[in-house]
Amino acid sequence: MSAETVHNPIRIDPETCVKCNLCDWICPGDLIYKEEDNRETLPVIAYPDECWYCGLCQSICPVDAITIVFPKEMIDCKTDVVSLLGKVVE
Amino acid sequence: MSAEWQTIDTDVLVIGGGVAGCMAAIPALEAGLAVVVCEKGKVLDHCGSVGCGVDHYLTIMDSGPEWDTPEFLLKHVPELTDGIVDMAVTSRVIHEMPRILRKIESFGVDFKDPRYGDYYRLRSFGLPGTYHINFDGTEFKKHIGQQVRKKKGTVLTRTMAVQLLTQDERVYGALAFNFRSGEWFAIRADAVVLAAGEVNRLSNNASGVAFDSWHCPYNTGDAHRMGYDAGAVLTNMEFVETTLTPKGFSAQGLNALVSEGAHFINNSGERFMFKYDDKGENARRAVIADAVITEYLLGNGPIYADCRHLPKDVLDHMEATLQVDRYTMPAFYEQKHLKFREEPVEVSISELSIRRSGVYFRGSGLAVDTDGQTSIGGLFAAGDCASVSGGIAGASVLGHIAGEGVAAHLRKPRGARPSIDMRLADALRASALQHLAQPGGMSWKEFERKTRQTVTDYVGVRRNAKGLNLALETLKALAIQEPTLEADDLHGLMRVHESKSIRLSAELMAHASLARAETRTGSSHRRLDYPATDDEHWRKFVLVQRGEKSPRVSTQSCDRPLAAAFTRVGRESLSSVG
Repeated sequence: MSAETVHNPIRIDPETCVKCNLCDWICPGDLIYKEEDNRETLPVIAYPDECWYCGLCQSICPVDAITIVFPKEMIDCKTDVVSLLGKVVE
Repeated sequence: MSAEWQTIDTDVLVIGGGVAGCMAAIPALEAGLAVVVCEKGKVLDHCGSVGCGVDHYLTIMDSGPEWDTPEFLLKHVPELTDGIVDMAVTSRVIHEMPRILRKIESFGVDFKDPRYGDYYRLRSFGLPGTYHINFDGTEFKKHIGQQVRKKKGTVLTRTMAVQLLTQDERVYGALAFNFRSGEWFAIRADAVVLAAGEVNRLSNNASGVAFDSWHCPYNTGDAHRMGYDAGAVLTNMEFVETTLTPKGFSAQGLNALVSEGAHFINNSGERFMFKYDDKGENARRAVIADAVITEYLLGNGPIYADCRHLPKDVLDHMEATLQVDRYTMPAFYEQKHLKFREEPVEVSISELSIRRSGVYFRGSGLAVDTDGQTSIGGLFAAGDCASVSGGIAGASVLGHIAGEGVAAHLRKPRGARPSIDMRLADALRASALQHLAQPGGMSWKEFERKTRQTVTDYVGVRRNAKGLNLALETLKALAIQEPTLEADDLHGLMRVHESKSIRLSAELMAHASLARAETRTGSSHRRLDYPATDDEHWRKFVLVQRGEKSPRVSTQSCDRPLAAAFTRVGRESLSSVG
């Protein structure tokens, strides 16, 4: 999958973000990288396709700069559930 | 000692800083022991399966009625587990429940519902009483993590343990690395507690998004792999667990749904659960998941969760607490433009997990005794990687038991810690770092995708000998590829190790499933070639342990505790499976 097609679930509003490091600090999956002690740089979502959609980053953000956006595969899931139920090998 | 190693000496090393790991660390610290917790997350307050919150806690409270006593619940454990349970360890866990609940309350966790100023207890998942406290556990983990810091535990964050150090069938520490700084740690300890959770990212889910999992996708069977490599006995690896989720989002929340009174309906609008169990939606999780699987296979899908009949105050409460188990659930419904109060919610089964097979008190993973000790001296286990499991209550109580077990173990004369085998340590690190120098190797994502597809197709909810053997061929072929897995960076190196743990767990699951020639607990272990439950021959644990070339599989009657199979107790009880 090319970088352009990877869905980014963690949207950070660059205008609102106070570049505080808390989202990097709390992410359980090591996805968000923020340069420490530099109030000029924004957090980077380094591994967007490894997100659990837990929302801890959103919940801790002191200025509500983070929105979690679900991808189409989750919001409008078309998978046939039977395809998850195994193949019967005769 | 090689200059590139950071060496640490401690009394106790805890691997995994979730609920079980923290609850193990606490009594060890209270006993005056030095404790190091090794955790992949950055902060103890919010790591592990319930780092972002939890809304129910299963417990005995000794509040007066007979059902609220350990003896009453224990009487029902055989039927809750379909007879596959270690009654000795479960008895200890259940008897300790009230004490550990009070201890957690003393940490500042408020289990009471502000609406009533009292505990709000509900019945669900087939339990013979209202054992679940429904509560706002948004800060549950924070209070527990804080205790470890207050009691001066040392925490190595963003650090992944990759291998246990063993000598003469005794564990004396582990090797670990920090995936941000690249530091490598050689940690010597007199006792090690494995508390790294269950095995996720194991099979496909409805969304196809690999990390969209019911429970923490960063729990990947690392404890199972390290324990197995060290020679520990694992059990119940054949049982899988799945839950029901809004289709497209594998999230927690089923307990609140069924305990508050939601119905499940099929494409004809039929409320079908009573066809499968006289408790209806209040049956065990394994039973309601199995009912939905069966309805889908019968062509009765889609299946929906229906809340439209519920009174306004119940719906209000559900809506107000929707985010407690998973913070993003309201956003999911909003972005999906779905109003659960007014319309049925289409549901799917989640991906599979190796954790407890949809029932309480049966854990899948490292077999432990009544002190939480595994078959290897000095190695303890607790939480969803251990042989008795039960949500956060199980993790809390068995974690605490293991911590007290460690303290008791270390009161005996210890002897000197062995010197670290630096040749082994350097070789392990060199082979790990090889993954960073594999341009063009297989990516861990592709490796995992193949593992998941194999599990979904042949080791999932419908099994037979042919399919399982086919899966084993593929999983063994994947094992050969492991040295060539490519990591782009240190973070990727952590994922490569997780991928290896997932693959090994899948292989152990296939071996154990092949051995259990019967069906038990519905889709938790459904053998199409052995469709009946065979109590006469199979009220047994399937045990797996490292063998010469492939895992050694054996069985043991459930009439005896798992500890009877431990080498340090006596191996004569094992009977080999052909």
